[in-house]
Amino acid sequence: MSERLTRSWRTVSLRWRVALAFGLVSTAIAGLLAVTTWQLASSYMLEQRERGATTQATVDGRLVADSLRRGSDELPTLLVGLTGEPGTAVLLRSGGRWTTAGREVDPAMVPAALVDLAAAGTTSRQRVVLGGTPVLAVAMPVGATGDVFVRLAPLTELDRTLRFVSAVLVAGTVLAGLLGVLLGWWTARRALLPLTELTDAAGRMAEGDLAARLPVRHEADLAPLAARFNATADALAERVRRDARFAGDVSHELRTPLTTMINAGEVLHRRREELPDAARRAVDLLTADVRRFHRMVEDLLEISRGIQAPHSQDLEPVDLAGIVQNVPDHLVAGARIDVATPAPLVMADRRRLDQVLANLCQNARHHGGGVVRLGVLRRDGHAVIEVDDAGPGVPAELRQRVFERFARGARTGRDGGDTGGTGLGLALVAQHVEGHGGRVWIEDRPAGGARFVVALREVAS
Amino acid sequence: MTTRVLLVEDDERIRQALGLALADEGYEIVETATGEEALELVDPDLDVVLLDLMLPGIDGIEVCSTLRSRGDLPIIIATARSDTADVIAGLEAGADDYVTKPLIAGELSARIRALLRRRRRPSGDADDGGSTSDVTLGDVVIHRSREVVERAGQQVHLTHTEFRLLAELAAARGDVVTREHLLQRVWGYDYFGDTRLLDVHVRRLRRKIEPDPDEPTLVLTVRGSGYRTGP
Repeated sequence: MSERLTRSWRTVSLRWRVALAFGLVSTAIAGLLAVTTWQLASSYMLEQRERGATTQATVDGRLVADSLRRGSDELPTLLVGLTGEPGTAVLLRSGGRWTTAGREVDPAMVPAALVDLAAAGTTSRQRVVLGGTPVLAVAMPVGATGDVFVRLAPLTELDRTLRFVSAVLVAGTVLAGLLGVLLGWWTARRALLPLTELTDAAGRMAEGDLAARLPVRHEADLAPLAARFNATADALAERVRRDARFAGDVSHELRTPLTTMINAGEVLHRRREELPDAARRAVDLLTADVRRFHRMVEDLLEISRGIQAPHSQDLEPVDLAGIVQNVPDHLVAGARIDVATPAPLVMADRRRLDQVLANLCQNARHHGGGVVRLGVLRRDGHAVIEVDDAGPGVPAELRQRVFERFARGARTGRDGGDTGGTGLGLALVAQHVEGHGGRVWIEDRPAGGARFVVALREVAS
Repeated sequence: MTTRVLLVEDDERIRQALGLALADEGYEIVETATGEEALELVDPDLDVVLLDLMLPGIDGIEVCSTLRSRGDLPIIIATARSDTADVIAGLEAGADDYVTKPLIAGELSARIRALLRRRRRPSGDADDGGSTSDVTLGDVVIHRSREVVERAGQQVHLTHTEFRLLAELAAARGDVVTREHLLQRVWGYDYFGDTRLLDVHVRRLRRKIEPDPDEPTLVLTVRGSGYRTGP
């Protein structure tokens, strides 16, 4: 049970935990102060009131005793005169007979023990509730043995005061608790601000923004955190750059021997008819794979540059209709071309956009039996290119993965592995589209097959 | 008549393999590894220069502009990457076309043939859809039959490619000509790839014929689709 409590406590965010702790502590302190204040104030006031009432009763008792001794018949008048304060009652038991004045009170309601004590000669007092009103009863012996004078003084005023004081104290405690929570929340927020920034920066970095850094603060506790994070980020970025540069350098170095191979191969290929059968087949294999090797190196070189926004000198307004119409014919033979009018315009590097579309068409040819429709339209405020094929489609669980590098897997095995693809085509598509701030995803084509969708920001023409 | 190609490439093996493959396609190849030697080897019998921009010594850009200042010899530059300033610098220096590495004999051959085809064909050809009559554009007069352009009575020297570009635009008489159409008509191969080639040529053309190349009034850009003549 306590374990579960601990666990659920941990799921509460640190900020709220600090806030609650602050709230609890301040409630406890304020509560303690309030209780002490209450104790002192209430006992002091009660004591004052009791002392006053007793003094008054003693004075009154003496007057009554005198009057009894003199046996004067002014006694009832005197008794009435003694009840000056409203709500006060005086009772006299003289010779076993009760006389009352002031507020109407049944003598039987006065606690018997009090009366007995007074009858025995001891002045005593007690707080009682009579008819719903708190009163202080003071009883004392008067005159002859067994005669008792009782004065009932109302405590309503005191009660009201005490009630007010207690209300103020409770409200103060609650307020202190709330202020504590607020203070704790604010303090935690201040203290955790670097953590929030760290979370943001780490999140941005995870999304591929290698330039995400923490602001350097001059607070002793936080500076090392920021410095360490930034150093780590620098190292990471450097490593990513080095890896990318390595892939780029390798591809670059491969190009020179590759150029020699391609051109030497071209000569052989042109003269394949002159070759004996086995040599011809060898040359065919060789030249086909050298070409694929070439494409792979080119793609690798391109992809090693990473996601990059195009240089401003490469950006131009591009009419998507033009892009679609310029896909090489052999890639879109027999495809329907739907272009919205007017065709949407985007700011793009035309070369890369061409490559995106060519690669998507190539992909459709390799895995979907060829493009059946190319669409240019507007969807949800974006300029959109749709490349449809009538193939088997892409299962939902692969729709992210196919955009990864060399993510060939299940989709290639079917036609013997060699589809002429480099395994980088869709990765390049994703990279270029992201570089343009756009998005690419896969849907089901309504009539069966896959639909690759590229969404880009439209610009006004 | 065989086509004579000057191949300027510093890498020994690439030069050999490419020379071999191009020779096999029927070209006569003159090879050199340096820009200095290339400038010495240029003679009137050459038909086209294939120039690697990355050269030891004098670099390709300089070779290109020197060759251009001497005459209208077609130049194809070879650059390492397609999206760098190299392409633009080479084209600004006067190259007619560019290819990106790796250089492949088959592709190069297609480029060379396209470049030479339009050179041998007068621009007043029937398939230009226009007559050979002169066209006036502001203070610029295009004498199509003679391939001469005059601006305010002064002859403007345009390369063959620039002239064809201007003639193609002028033939549309103010209608928009798409980039693709221009590339196809002027460079003669199916457009696929980038249009930097066209844009730099338009810039070069504007520098030669516009009163103020930064505020063009004769060759206007139609955002997102192509160009047209003004006003």
